Amino acid sequence: MKTVISVDIGSTWTKGAVFSLTGSGLELLDKISAPTTQSNLVVGFHEILARLLQRDRNTPLDQLKGLAEIFFSSSAKGGLSIAAIGLVPDLTLQLARLAAMSAGGKVVKSFSFSLTASDVNELEKLRPDIILFSGGTDGGNSKYVLENASKLESSRLDCPIVYAGNRAVAEDVINIMKSREVIVTENLMPEIGQVNIEPVREKIREIFLKRIVVGRGLSEIVELFGSQPKPTPLAMFELISAIPEFHPEWSDLAAIDIGGATTDFYSNTESYLETDTVVLKGIREPKIKRTVEGDLGLRVSAHSLFETSQVYIKDRLREAGFEFQEMNEFVGKISGRIDYLPELEKEKIFDRVLAEACVYYAALRHIGGWRQIYTPQGKIYVQTGKDLRRVKAIIGTGGFLSEEKTAAVMSIPLEKLKHYGEEIKLLPERPAFYHDRHYLFPLLGNLIEKYPQEATSLAVASVENLSQRGDEND
Amino acid sequence: MEKEKDTIVIGVIGSDCHSVGNKILELFFTSEGFKVVNLGVMVSQQEFVDAAIETNAKAILVSSLYGHGEIDCQGFRDLCIEKGLDSIILYVGGNLVVGKTPVSVVEEKFKKMGFDRVFPPDIDLKQVAELLRQDIKERFGSSSKEQEAKDQSEQDSQPDQKNPGDEGSQNNLTGQDNQNNMKEPEGFKVK
Repeated sequence: MKTVISVDIGSTWTKGAVFSLTGSGLELLDKISAPTTQSNLVVGFHEILARLLQRDRNTPLDQLKGLAEIFFSSSAKGGLSIAAIGLVPDLTLQLARLAAMSAGGKVVKSFSFSLTASDVNELEKLRPDIILFSGGTDGGNSKYVLENASKLESSRLDCPIVYAGNRAVAEDVINIMKSREVIVTENLMPEIGQVNIEPVREKIREIFLKRIVVGRGLSEIVELFGSQPKPTPLAMFELISAIPEFHPEWSDLAAIDIGGATTDFYSNTESYLETDTVVLKGIREPKIKRTVEGDLGLRVSAHSLFETSQVYIKDRLREAGFEFQEMNEFVGKISGRIDYLPELEKEKIFDRVLAEACVYYAALRHIGGWRQIYTPQGKIYVQTGKDLRRVKAIIGTGGFLSEEKTAAVMSIPLEKLKHYGEEIKLLPERPAFYHDRHYLFPLLGNLIEKYPQEATSLAVASVENLSQRGDEND
Repeated sequence: MEKEKDTIVIGVIGSDCHSVGNKILELFFTSEGFKVVNLGVMVSQQEFVDAAIETNAKAILVSSLYGHGEIDCQGFRDLCIEKGLDSIILYVGGNLVVGKTPVSVVEEKFKKMGFDRVFPPDIDLKQVAELLRQDIKERFGSSSKEQEAKDQSEQDSQPDQKNPGDEGSQNNLTGQDNQNNMKEPEGFKVK
């Protein structure tokens, strides 16, 4: 038997779990959490590790070495902040955004065509961790890319720049940006409509390891335990990618992770089924996709969530018979107290409405749609974005959804989304709802590279089917 | 080094989903040595323009079979100019209007909209490819090298697309070529 430990250093909590690994697979032994020690992440990590190994807190870190195999992830202050630069908004820029999010990043701002002086100014103020710089197909447009390269070169930015644009001018781009750290990778759209985001994801991951982790005390852990950290959302992404590979019955899968600051939506299903009556417009989205919504979250982002989702919230409050003003006060209260747990029954309902709103808007932005068009040849559907109709299972994770006892928080908003404007949203048709009841997914994601079979098996064994418990409405 | 192929964007405009001819055009122009970006059927003006920008295309070839081409194509040249594609070559072809309008009337209509050449459905494609090569040569120069140099000078003199006020000077660059084009229109006067 082997002892395996996985730790996730989040922005407010550091979570850890200890597993036993035997011939029959992984088994969860214990799971704990402690406040993240922002000034030096190692302190919190050390505490979690000692407790999981049932050692005294003061046991030096190097004496804990060898007792277990250690894996860990870090959310790096709520995710890598990435600024995306593309050419045409619906083509290279859209792909740059998708690539950044799939790599576990948070898109702080995106820019199309030429960067203006005020764009550059804004970039300097935002100070992103990475700039993802794309534009032009291979052998295609180079004018904007070269122009923007000069502007980036003369800016005061100091972050690494990943270049994933027109390959034909990659060398020119390096030459122009002599004083910058430029990492060149394959074009994310080598041909019109061709999606190639894997190489970009890989480069972003490497930068995460090199630049973001080293400065924050984590290098000590890396040195001692010989394992590299992952960005937390990437751990989730890898788990969602791997589950259907090892458990084909879980193919066509989606997951929703509602957190305090962001809501992440993952899907693993073919994005477009070609038929005579459905025409796809825009890019063909990748089979495995992550979107992250920085304005949707239950605590840190409660205010922006409330702003975004007024329509949905008003609608739901009316149905539940509550006053908008009361909800407004509740949002004011929780925004100031990030770790607040609702006590009153009414507050719990408000929290649920907020969570529903997270699901509603995250799904709205993640999932594509059809518009009906009558042509001389008959009725045609024009699809934009990703088709999730075949998704059979939706898994809720994150602190809130792990605690939920019914599917309502996920099923009600998805039901309401069916009638959104004139577009037919391509929602999962008959999904079963599950939740990650021990909140293990990010921790299991850390194990995917080494133990894919075992980690995915425990993931699917530890989810609970909420649909079977019935949809009790609040 | 091998000479770079000229990129052209093709597609069927509007709510038209005739896909067979579109595929033939893709095969044909590819075999003629062009790099073809085929957007398929039901393509909007915006999509044509977006694809041409990303790929640095020299020409857009618009097809329309279902008779609504006139409405679908209105403002196409204007959109190109607005988006900074000042010198792109625009061709249109197919059953462009409903009914038995004479070819010359149809041609005039679409040329007024800013299309460089207008083709009836029974045109010999070989002829189109030949004209396209000529037009590209005249408008963009013959070799890739010259093209690059020209791009460079355009880049220096040209404001970005958010500031499209300077079309005038840009048109002067190609104005002469356009006049040349008009001198030899025999090629497309097929009945």
